[in-house]
Amino acid sequence: MSEEGFDLFKWMATYDKRWIYVFLFIVVIGPLIRPLGMPISVSGLTKDYYDNINSLTEGDIVFDSWNMEFSGYMELKPGVLATHKIFIEKGVKLCIAFGHFEGVALPPVVFKELKSYMDQYDYKEFEDYIIIGYVIPNEAAVAALAQDFHGVVRVDWKGQPIAGTFLDEIEDAGDFALINDYTTGLATTFQIRHMVLTYGTPMAVNSIGVSVPGHLANLDAGLITSLLSSTRGGAELEYLIGQPGPGLKSMDAFTFGHYMLIVFIIIGNIGHYGWSRRAAHRDRTGIQ
Amino acid sequence: MSAFFKSRSTQLTILVISFLLVFIPYFINIPGLDWFSTKLMTIAAVTNAFTIGIAVYSQYKRSGRFIMERRKGWIYHIYLVLLMIFMIFNGIVFGQHTGGYDWLLKAVVTPLSSVIYGILAFYMASAGARAFRARSPQAALLLIAGLIVLLYQAPLTGSVFPGIEPAATYLTNTFGMSVARMFSISVCIGAIVLGVRMLTGKEVAFLGFGEE
Amino acid sequence: MVEPLFEIPGLFAGRTVGFLLIILIFVLTIYYMSQKKLQYVRRVPALDAIEDAVGRSTEMGKPVICSYGLGGFSYWTIAGLSILGYVAKLCAETDTRLIVPTGGSHDSYIVREAAVDLVRNAYTTAGKAEMFNEEDMPFLSGEQYAYTPAYIGMLVRDKPGTTIMTGSHWSEAMNIAEMSNAVGAITITAGCYTSSMAALACASDYIMLGEEQPAAGAYLSKNPSQLASIRVQDIYKFIAVGMMILGLIAINAGSEIINRLISS
Repeated sequence: MSEEGFDLFKWMATYDKRWIYVFLFIVVIGPLIRPLGMPISVSGLTKDYYDNINSLTEGDIVFDSWNMEFSGYMELKPGVLATHKIFIEKGVKLCIAFGHFEGVALPPVVFKELKSYMDQYDYKEFEDYIIIGYVIPNEAAVAALAQDFHGVVRVDWKGQPIAGTFLDEIEDAGDFALINDYTTGLATTFQIRHMVLTYGTPMAVNSIGVSVPGHLANLDAGLITSLLSSTRGGAELEYLIGQPGPGLKSMDAFTFGHYMLIVFIIIGNIGHYGWSRRAAHRDRTGIQ
Repeated sequence: MSAFFKSRSTQLTILVISFLLVFIPYFINIPGLDWFSTKLMTIAAVTNAFTIGIAVYSQYKRSGRFIMERRKGWIYHIYLVLLMIFMIFNGIVFGQHTGGYDWLLKAVVTPLSSVIYGILAFYMASAGARAFRARSPQAALLLIAGLIVLLYQAPLTGSVFPGIEPAATYLTNTFGMSVARMFSISVCIGAIVLGVRMLTGKEVAFLGFGEE
Repeated sequence: MVEPLFEIPGLFAGRTVGFLLIILIFVLTIYYMSQKKLQYVRRVPALDAIEDAVGRSTEMGKPVICSYGLGGFSYWTIAGLSILGYVAKLCAETDTRLIVPTGGSHDSYIVREAAVDLVRNAYTTAGKAEMFNEEDMPFLSGEQYAYTPAYIGMLVRDKPGTTIMTGSHWSEAMNIAEMSNAVGAITITAGCYTSSMAALACASDYIMLGEEQPAAGAYLSKNPSQLASIRVQDIYKFIAVGMMILGLIAINAGSEIINRLISS
């Protein structure tokens, strides 16, 4: 037993962080299992991203940069799926490249989710999209690819020659209608330097949450044309295209998680205020 | 011959020539030089791919030393070497898209890395909740700003209270973005200055040489 | 995009001012590096925090964990290595065990060799060469999220008194800093990544924000070229701030002259 006994303010100010872990787990897991379908708002950022992607026309070739590992994909999944649904619907051609070695495990996972959509629009590998593989691991590779596409890439990720496909139209990065980057990593910066700044190709970015502040500065400076922010952005895009998916299902958990954090911050501040006042009073009067 | 290629002056000369071949055509229109620049980039990209082979060789050599000398953790190095052999064998013999390579990547590597990444949410929530205390007027202002942005980040808030978006966007687009810009400027200048130090041979550790 | 203010024949439009600014950086850096007098850099307060934290570890008989980041040789890594050298010197002088986790990316292999030499030199210079143990500088992995749990495992097993994270730590920094906090270690970090800096500031006892890290590295190394870089960076920051103020005035006066100038 403590000599001073239980002090509620002190507990509120110094609670064990494991309480946060427990409550966060509870408030997130509940709505994930059984979503409540609470309303969400759509941000201006997502509307701009939607307009950007939607402005593409049939036959446009997009450099589709899967600059993410599996862990990042789980956060970007709603945006990845919703964006690809737009591409498929519009008949946009995709040149898919990976910026991380785990990327090679992603296409079966992503295309399995999109299978019914691809069947509906008769969207086929090699005719409509080509996966060129793990070819942008570092800055030199991005620069080389941007300057001399066929000098760097001659076969797809399974070793089939890309000559005679829609990629014949690509000589350098300037021939892409758009660079669409799903990013957790550094290849985004390399692409901005060597594809956007050198060739003026527009670039849309779908970024994980922690990197959004950095990309906002790129957006404001005009280096990228639009930005889709994390799972939330993906959910908003699902809403805009009228195709509910994993993003919208997770928004209730997002809401509760954020509100819970606010509650913990308020508890901490009440505790801090009460405890520090009590300590000041004790110092002043000597009364415990 | 190998001493010539390993010498500091040779490596620095190659560095400076490569730099000029890439740097000059970016700013100055010299048609012939552009071709050299493009080819050099392609050579660099291909060479980079070969460094994976060097990394594998180094790792075998290093693990071998650990195992032979029975140094601390040597047993894990046996595990590491076995896994590397397994991955290389499967990747080369059965390909990357089927078999053991694919299974190991999907069943082991990706779930483990996803879990480590996912745990981040708990750590961030806990650090944020503990750090946001109104200990001073400045901290109170930070707390208010943080609460506005947090409220906006909760998807429900915007649909109930649309006024939150302009307030949160104002905070991120002014105070938040100014920090990001400051960072971009200083990192960019820092990188260029580091480049000058490398080109002038004042920074040679990246070439495998010790400091002067 | 705004219309360029001017064009110089032979130079690409939109890159002229950038080219001139880079040439100026070259000239200034070489000028300051060639100066005999060392450029003045103030002592960064974080260095006092590092000294105090290492002292606390010594008193508690606990090790110090100091990492220099995951990346290859970059602006941040070089600063991180200078700080690592300083921490190694402090640890050698006070007979405190130093653990340096290495690895974390494909580019980290080569940096590791430089870091081992640096720490070995620090121990040798302090006259404690026999105390240097390369096994306390384990290579954890070439992958970020394999490096992270291995680092966390070390924190949990070795229960350090101090954790110092310098160089370029990315999203894993938060996991490590929180776990360091959980095991009761004083956590000193350096934020080099805009996105994680705010979170790291919450999780750390002391944080070196952005430019403080290279400044601390240059101060400790007393390397003329590192000190010269800090001076050139400061000059350029003044130029950038000046351009911003002029741009702000011009935009409010209805003129795009500064935008056009830097787009030239």
